[in-house]
Parts: sequence; C-alpha cells; structure tokens
Amino acid sequence: MGRKIANIQLSEEYEGVLRKEQRSFMTGNEVVAWAALAAKADFMYGYPITPQNEIMHYWARLAPHFGRGFLQTEDEMSAGFAMLGGALVGKKTFSATAGPGNVLMQEPISMAEMMRIPGVWIIQQRGGPSTATVIYSQQELRLTTTGGNGEGLRIVYSTASHQELFEYTIKAFNTAWQYRFPTFVLGDGYQAKMREAVTLFRPEARGWRLIPAEPILRPPGVPARDRDPVHLRNTFNIEEELYDRLVDQLAAYDRMTAEVIEWEAEVSPETELLLVAHGIVARAAKQAQENLNRQGKKVGYFRPITVRPFPGSALRQAVAANPNLRLLVVESAHGQLLALVKAELYGFTNPLDSLLRPGVGITAEEIEEAVTQHGQKEAVS
Amino acid sequence: MRESGRMVIREPLVNENMPLSWRKETKPHRFCPGCGHGIALKALGEVVDELGILDQVLYGCDIGCSLLSWDFFNFDSIQTHHGRTIPVIVGAKRARPETVGIAYMGDGGGYAIGAQHLVNAAQRGEQITAILANNTLYAMTGGQMAPTTLPGQKTGTSPYGREVTKTGLPLQGPELVAAIAPEGSYVARATVGEYQQLKKYLKKALDNQIAGRGFSFVEVLSTCPTNWRTNAKQTWAFLQGEMARHFKVGEFRAAETIPAGEER
Amino acid sequence: MPRILEAYVGEYASGKSENAINRSLRLVKAGRRVRLVDLDLVEPTYTLRPLKRKLEAKGIQVLAWETRELIGLGEAAIPFKKEMGSALAFAGDVIIDLGYGVEGRRLLNLIAGSLSPAGRGESLQLIMVVNTTRPVTSSLPLLLAYLAEFGPVDGLINNTHLGEETTVELIQEGAGLVTAAARRVGCPVVATTALRPYARQLGPVDRMANPVWPIERYMPDAFW
Repeated sequence: MGRKIANIQLSEEYEGVLRKEQRSFMTGNEVVAWAALAAKADFMYGYPITPQNEIMHYWARLAPHFGRGFLQTEDEMSAGFAMLGGALVGKKTFSATAGPGNVLMQEPISMAEMMRIPGVWIIQQRGGPSTATVIYSQQELRLTTTGGNGEGLRIVYSTASHQELFEYTIKAFNTAWQYRFPTFVLGDGYQAKMREAVTLFRPEARGWRLIPAEPILRPPGVPARDRDPVHLRNTFNIEEELYDRLVDQLAAYDRMTAEVIEWEAEVSPETELLLVAHGIVARAAKQAQENLNRQGKKVGYFRPITVRPFPGSALRQAVAANPNLRLLVVESAHGQLLALVKAELYGFTNPLDSLLRPGVGITAEEIEEAVTQHGQKEAVS
Repeated sequence: MRESGRMVIREPLVNENMPLSWRKETKPHRFCPGCGHGIALKALGEVVDELGILDQVLYGCDIGCSLLSWDFFNFDSIQTHHGRTIPVIVGAKRARPETVGIAYMGDGGGYAIGAQHLVNAAQRGEQITAILANNTLYAMTGGQMAPTTLPGQKTGTSPYGREVTKTGLPLQGPELVAAIAPEGSYVARATVGEYQQLKKYLKKALDNQIAGRGFSFVEVLSTCPTNWRTNAKQTWAFLQGEMARHFKVGEFRAAETIPAGEER
Repeated sequence: MPRILEAYVGEYASGKSENAINRSLRLVKAGRRVRLVDLDLVEPTYTLRPLKRKLEAKGIQVLAWETRELIGLGEAAIPFKKEMGSALAFAGDVIIDLGYGVEGRRLLNLIAGSLSPAGRGESLQLIMVVNTTRPVTSSLPLLLAYLAEFGPVDGLINNTHLGEETTVELIQEGAGLVTAAARRVGCPVVATTALRPYARQLGPVDRMANPVWPIERYMPDAFW
C-alpha cells in the first residue's frame, strides 16, 4: 500500500517512526497529524484556515501511504457534515479548524450532538472575534464547549504541550467512539506552531486499546430482509418527544462525566493563592507557581484538562482546602474560563482575581507580577 | 376519527404495486395530497428495485418537505440539516466507496442554502447521485420565494409577485451543474408529469454512479398544490404549462457509455 | 571575488531560518556585504519579520516585511514583497530563507535570475538543512525519499537537535545519517551546525569530518 519514492516504501518507514519511539522535534500541528495516524483515524475532511493548516498538510502527506483518506471541502460546514457521513458508515473521521471556521463548524457539531455521531475536532484557537489574528488566543473556549443551538454535550480536552497534543488526540478518538459525543482537542496557535521534543508511539505498544468504529448506517445485512432499515432523524414535531430524547442524552452525558473528567491540582491546607488556568497558559501558570514557591510564597495550581465536562468537584475540593484561599484566574480571553470557575464555585466566598488578556499570550513572569501586585478585586459570589 | 380513517385506506394502499424498496410500515406517506414528492420517490423506489441495489443505498434527505421521506424506504437513511445533505452523502461515499449515495433535497436546500455544496460536489465529480425536487417555492416553511420561483409568482415573501429586477430570474440548476461538472457526469431535468422519462433519468443517474463515471444530478419538476393553492386541474396546468416554459426538461449531460439495453 | 548566493531549503521546522540568519552574520563578520531574504511564503508574518530591526543593527540588509507594513494587509499578509523579485540584484552576498512547502524550490521562479544567474561564475547554491529528529527525515530511507522528491541540492547541513534535550551524541548520530545521505545523492555536507556549547564539545569537525559551525539562536525572538 502507498507510494514508493526512490524505491523506498514510505509506509514502512513511517510506521518505523512510531515503533522506534524516538524523541522527535516537531510543531504541534504535525504532532496532531501523527496522532491521528497512530489512532488509526480513517478520514480527514478539512478546509484551510490558519493556524491549523499543517495538520492538513501532514495528514495529506501521510494518509495515502496507509490507505487513509483526505478531502478538502468547500467550507467548514461541508467538512463537518462529511465527517458525520463518514462516521455514520463506520469510519473514524476528524477535522481541524480555528476561529471563523470553528464558528461554521458548530452547525455540523450540533447535529453530531443531537444524533450521537462520533467525531474528533482539533481546534487551534486564533484571535477573535471575527477574522482577527491568525496567531493565538483562548477565546474559543466558550464556542468549543457550548457552541451550537443546544446543551453543549461534548468533551473538550485542553492541552498544554506537544506530548499532550499527541496523547489527547489519540484519547479523543477513543472517547468519541466510546461515548458518541463530539470530542475536541482544544489547542491554540502557539501550540500549533511552536517546536518542542515529543515521543511518538503506537498506542497498542502502551497497552492502549483503540475503540473500534462501528457502522451506524449500512451495518452488515440486507435491510428489510436480515435487519430493519436504519432510519435516523434530528427533527421532532412535538416538545415532549424532544424533551424525552434530551433527558436520555443528558443522563448519558452525566454518567460519562465521572469517567472522562481530568485535571491537575497542586494545593494544600497551607496554600494561600490558587492559580487557575487551562491550556498553554496553565503551563505558564505552573512555571510561575514553581518560581513563587521557591520565593517562599504559598501558591497552588489548578488546571482543568477537560474544560467540558468541567472538573467542578475537584475545583471545589481544592478551594475548600483553605477557607482563606484566594484565587487568580489567568487566561488569554476576557473571562471565558473565569465564568466557568465562578459557576462551579457558586456559594463560596473566597476572594477571586483575574488576569485576562484576550488574544495575547501570557508568560510566567507576567503571572508572577500579577501575583506580587495582587489586590483583591472581587469575591467569587 | 382520523386514525381509523387512515386504517381504512391503509390496506388497499399497501399492495403488490408498491416498489419492494418502499417501507410499507410507513405508508401511506406523509406528503400532502397532490404533492410531487410521492411520484418522484415511487420512481426512485422502482429504479432501486430494478437495479437490485437495496443493500448498497445510503439515502440522505434535507430539511424541507423532503425530510418527510426519512423513513420512506427500506434502505438506510439519514435526515440531515437544511442544505447539508450533499456533504453528508459525500462524506459517507468517500469513506465507503461501495455505497450508492443518494442525496434528496428541495430547491431551497440545493440552490440556496446549500448551493455551494452542489456546485463543489459537481465540480469535484463526487460519485453520488443528487436528486432535487423543484416546486418553485419553500413549502415546509409555508410558501416563501425560492431561487426557482417564477417571475410574477406570488409567495409569502413575494406577496406582489416575484420582481425579477429585484430578485432575479428562476435559477437554472441543471444548466448550471452541466456547465461545471467534469466528463462522466450525468445531468438531467425530469418532471413528475412524465413518469417513464423520470424513471429513465433516475435510473441513468444511479447507473452513472454505480459505474463510477462521476457525479449525477437530476432536477425533478414537482408539484405543491398546498402552497400553490391550486386544485388538481390547476396544479397540472401549472406544472405542464408555466413551469415547463421556464424549465426545459431533458438531459444536459450524459455519459458516453450507455448501459446495455438502454436507449439514449 | 565572486558573490555568495545561497538559498536555505528543507523540511518544515528543520532550522532553515536559523541557519540563514547565522550564515548571514558569519559573512558580515568576515567583512562582506550581505542581504538576507525572507521567502517563507507559508508563514510570512512569523519568520524573520520580528527580527528584522535586530539583524539590520548587526549590519545585514534584511528583505522582509516590517510590522508596520503589515497593517491592513489581510489575514496572513501578502506574502510576496515585490522587492523580492529582484532580490539577487545586490552588490554583495545574498542569503535566502526559502520557505517549506510543496515544490519549495519552485519559489525561485519568482526571483529573477535565481535559476540561471548570469555570468561571473556565480550560481545560486541550494543548501538543504536537515534535522534528523524531524520524523519525515529521521531515517536514511526517509531522508533519501525526501531528497528524491525535492530534487538536486548543492549541499546538506546537519542541524540535528532536540531543543533543550539536545546532546552531542544526538548531533553525531545526525551527522552520520546526513553524511550517508549526502554520499548516496552525491553532494557534500557543508557543515554540522550546533549551538555554541555543543559546538565547543564537538570540536572543529564532527565524527564524519564535516566542519562544525557554531550558531546562535535568534528564532525564539520571533514567534516560534
């Protein structure tokens, strides 16, 4: 299978890259393409938008050697709906987008939500609103977690390193095909383009079982002879019919939540200030925490990895560690993470401050400075 | 009682004249009396029977009245979003090429909100069959102006008649698709008023896909007495008269190879 | 004295820009006039632009966008600055940072005279920068396939590194791989390039007897 160049069977060589588990120096976008390959994704449907383009470039380069597919569609709506078509007939499908593309992608995602069609979306956040910048932001948190006309029945992993991009992209395929809710890897332009070392591997070599994709439409057998035909719809005529459907889906989502939520927390009864951040900013926050701890400041750290469903009880537990704990929420958006944090901490009276820099990167030094100049601005509720 | 009334007429309707690919449990169908969808879908069912492809078909329908066909057949189906049936079927066909993909839609779905999908699927030569019912208006939402509304035709959003200087002339769909689709495409306009021709075009369209020649597209001139506010005679007159004058029935693109036993 | 005309090519994120900058600075230090040209058409806004002023202060003439020129130019800016078409029309050395991408070498079609420079024995040298920790160039067969697809080059540079995880052994492994590939395609290894501390440990030549050129990192001052 695949092409030979200079009499070299590239598929075997590429397999070798995964098998050898060497450290590789890569950009985040490339890592995602390799992760999709390792996760045995079947098909990518995509539309160009910066800063995710190299995901398509590398997938388009790698996929033909493994009999996997790529289609560049006419827009993100088409890419998203084509994903659903592929998933319905039993293939593992994915796409990658950002910014205005993420806005258009919400339409097919809402259909996936309603019909429990699995799929994986990689979001490399760029500045917003509108076309804004191709560079970076964390302004697509709200859109990715709860966009669309519905209840946001999705799983969103927010990554902070290339190793995480690789591992959570593979995990996202498993989560999507196990629970049949749309699943996202929420990256950003920095993670997309930045270069760092990463270890690629075959998930099987780590004992990870890849959840197989099953056809929802066109399963085996002749319809009306061996089995009933499968007829699917997302339109309901009466309120009660929709309500019953949603009650079932919300219950399924709640059952899943305990199994998928992930977070990192470093907090103790001595912690006086808790830094709360997600994604690449959490990496800066972690570094700031370590620097401040070295200066003798009692600073803790909380990072949701699943920003949807949100690890609310873990956050509440962390905050409850010390009744006088202050919080500092840090994000490259104007209060999108902050809103989630506040909602989860309803009833708590701990002082809460924030460092909000929409569309702009945040360094550890800036966080340290904010901590040093920390003044109490508001309480949680 | 309406239910018992349905029961009375149900028995004689479910009979051996129905295509095998029709799902009898969902008949009588949900379309209005005099609607053209039933005729187009009967022809499609018969063609699927004749081609013996029931187990290969994946049928997608749009939002609009076409969605009422979501459980119409004995083959697998997916009701999608408005205008998005083509990409769903394209995605499935690309992922599993042995599928016979059929995207069924109305003129609003195909020519307005989903026009970019029709244009690009045709241009790429996607190996699917798109069937579009043209009834000159948006029916399910209560009769608004569509790209296909005739000059002077009154609709909910053109209450004084379509003014071509402000809203253009009826879109010529097959002509558009024929102009951009690559070699091997099949493009035709049929009408529910010519049943045998309709069947023949649908069969050629599906055969074109099965043979792997390329994209196939059939616009079907259809009827909407409910929104046209026409009785049976007026409905027929509008279809065969005014509509036929604006929309030329026939084949616009046909593959070079004709299946054995078929005349052009 | 003939001019030095070099274009740095190779796989995405292999270190083309870093090498082009360092090469230019070396030439300036040797008292030569140097023009550095940013021809990365994929990410024009991100490569040399943020460094332009800094490099100009060091005496290099930089042909790249300036931040103020990019206001209102669109999403990723118009990538091809019109002055670049005559980039080689310069009384001095010209170093081109050629962006990655499909048929990257064809970008040279946009530069007058680059494919068949006129007279004086000058010709544009295509130098491919290779980091063997980049997955698509991480084995000899992959490297040979990459070179076969790219087409002929005039020399290879071993720029193998792993960011902060770089070791001398890793650089030496890269040198072995790059040298083996160079022998197979019949071109020289121009050098092994490494950050100064590693270069010091490597000595004047690597284990394959290729010269070692110490380099400084400039790209962290860019976006990436």
